[in-house]
Amino acid sequence: MVTVTPERPADARTGPVGRVTRSAVTTPGRLSLVAVALLLVTAVTGIVAALTLQAKRDTLDDLVAHREPLAAAAQQIFRSLSDADATAASAFLSGGVEPAELRTRYEFDIAQAGSALAKASTDVGGDPLASAQVEVLSQQLPVYSGLVETARANNRQGFPAGAAYLREASALMRSKLLPAAEKLYEIDYDRLQTEQESARSVPWVVIALVVLLVAALVATQRYLTRKTNRLLNVGLVVASAAVLVSLVWGATALLLMSGHVADAERNGSQQVDVLVQARINSLKCRADETLTLVARGDGPGYEQEWQQLAATLVGDGEQNLLRQAKALASGDAATGEVQQAVDNAAAWADAHRRIRELDEGGQYEDAVKTAIGAEPNSSATAFGKLDKNLLTALNAGREEFFTKTTKAGGALTGLVPGVAVLALVAAAGITLGIRERLREYR
Amino acid sequence: MITGHRVRALAAVALAVPALLLTACSVSGKPVDLATVTSLDRPQPAGVEVNPPTTTGSAAAVPPCDPAASLRPAGPLPAPGAMPGGTTMKTIQDRGRLIAGVDQNTFLFGFRNPTSNALEGFDIDRVRDVAAAIFGDPGKVQYKVITSAERIDALKKGEVDIVVRTMTATCARWVDINFSATYYVAGQRVVVDRSSPITGVDQLGGKRVCAAKGSTSIQKLREAPAPPEVVAVDNWSDCLVMLQQGQVAAVSTDDTILSGMVAQDPNVKLVGPRFTEEPYGIGIPKQNEDMVRFVNGVLEQSVARGSWAASYAKWLGQAGGPAAAPPAARYRD
Repeated sequence: MVTVTPERPADARTGPVGRVTRSAVTTPGRLSLVAVALLLVTAVTGIVAALTLQAKRDTLDDLVAHREPLAAAAQQIFRSLSDADATAASAFLSGGVEPAELRTRYEFDIAQAGSALAKASTDVGGDPLASAQVEVLSQQLPVYSGLVETARANNRQGFPAGAAYLREASALMRSKLLPAAEKLYEIDYDRLQTEQESARSVPWVVIALVVLLVAALVATQRYLTRKTNRLLNVGLVVASAAVLVSLVWGATALLLMSGHVADAERNGSQQVDVLVQARINSLKCRADETLTLVARGDGPGYEQEWQQLAATLVGDGEQNLLRQAKALASGDAATGEVQQAVDNAAAWADAHRRIRELDEGGQYEDAVKTAIGAEPNSSATAFGKLDKNLLTALNAGREEFFTKTTKAGGALTGLVPGVAVLALVAAAGITLGIRERLREYR
Repeated sequence: MITGHRVRALAAVALAVPALLLTACSVSGKPVDLATVTSLDRPQPAGVEVNPPTTTGSAAAVPPCDPAASLRPAGPLPAPGAMPGGTTMKTIQDRGRLIAGVDQNTFLFGFRNPTSNALEGFDIDRVRDVAAAIFGDPGKVQYKVITSAERIDALKKGEVDIVVRTMTATCARWVDINFSATYYVAGQRVVVDRSSPITGVDQLGGKRVCAAKGSTSIQKLREAPAPPEVVAVDNWSDCLVMLQQGQVAAVSTDDTILSGMVAQDPNVKLVGPRFTEEPYGIGIPKQNEDMVRFVNGVLEQSVARGSWAASYAKWLGQAGGPAAAPPAARYRD
């Protein structure tokens, strides 16, 4: 079929728009336009795909390099502060000058909290809520340690004002520092989850563009076949192949990637989150236990909180965090560790029951010994073991997160330059294929 | 030669150049904010309340009485470990321990010795005397630490057998519980910083003054001619903390408690005269009248045997208490 080119005077050609409209009427003109359009779609698709994939790659790197370490730092702050509080209370209970190991433990807790706080504060600029928490923590931590030292100074002189300073310090810890640390952890964990979601999200725009490109390539080839009665155009076939290869490669890589991210979420960050909640609750319980004894009956609130929180560690119900952690654990080692945590939590609950019985029965001295003594069946021993289990499981979860997220990043290896090169190949194929046909009209 | 025209041109250039430079330098905006802190959140003891609402529960028609008059002992005390059947003391003896509501934060009266971890003080000695009379062993005691505000409730609910906690016998409290005979008479005074110009309760008007919740001191402060802003805390030692931290101008309560504060900090001083009289009694549940008579017998015995004087010398002698003579017991029979 031949389209008739209308004869027009040269002077009538006004402007580029007119030229394009007129040339679209001729087959060669139309072909040129199709080539330009195809090249445009290819370029846009290539650029958008490369940018999207690069963004995913960056998100994965950011998860490993910033988000997870920050969430970990936030939980470390909580853990150190809470342990400092419980340790200070234990030191007070032991009477006289506190034992050297308790003093060392307290000092390590404060130093650890300070370092973790420095780490956590590196990346809060964008979030006013997170920076407010960091501000509370950095303003109040020196105040807290000042109060504890004043309590010590009074204690060493045998003045009961020491106990009052310690109560004030503990109140500051429980009313300001710990809630801020918990909130900071929640914010950091939320941001981690949001990034994981965005890494796993399906890049619909890119998919739509690729589908559009494939459809355009197919349509062009059918059009050419109709016009020229030739079955194949090598250039366009190469272009289509390049697009298909990048589609298959991209889809496979993204599927693999999101699988790994899902694993990292389930066995890594979610597992860690449940363990962190369990650890936070166990630390609160430990502080409650010692503070009940410090208050010597004047603290019904502490024991009530113990009962509530202990249900998340040894309870039968859904809210048992250790059971949840066990369900999320991957591998025998992790499961074993969590199982040990379950056993030690049960032993602790037992010891706690004995403490309460002794204290209620008027045997205060024995209750204190069961709470802070180093005997194998003491509450301090069981809590120490539980904390160790939780820490080991936590670190295993972090390891899992790191491995899986790094693997997810690995699945995208070479994809960005690959897609760029394939887009260039497709563009070259389109250019060559259509130029070959255009030549036949000369 | 330079013409006037040229001079003007040169002057214009000379003016224009710095003007251009100035324009180049004048940028909008400010240096980065240095996160200046303008207000502080000072640490406070747990449970602090400023000007809490009055909680004088049975304010309605308290019958007039002599709060210092208790029930007369019923003859000589039974031998330790042989309490007569059917009495409250027999129940306590069978239980194996006396449950006493005390304080662990009031230096010299009821406090935890940080070195030995044991509760000590003048009030604790009274508890030990009662335990010794029941069991023959002063150590058979379960101490329950309670705040000033919890004293009456602990007795009404029967959580404790006795309360020995710098507790003033008042007619309003007699409605709910029984008191033993007076074992000590204190009086309310004021403690301030050594450098403070305050010399008495009349100068506290509008100032922040600390007192424990549920104490008679807090009511007396409210009734003062120049009522201060009352800062109520759970424990008396919290008041010392707030005074040391400069968060209150003064602490006002019984001189005995205040002496304990002065003993802990040479930078605070007792000022002004006693402006109330506080007869301390041992609180006992309303229904246990046999126990009241028994405890009064124990008090008489401890005065007669000299353990009261020994305890006084040990704890209060050096603190400048009023007199070493025990208060004379009065009875309403």
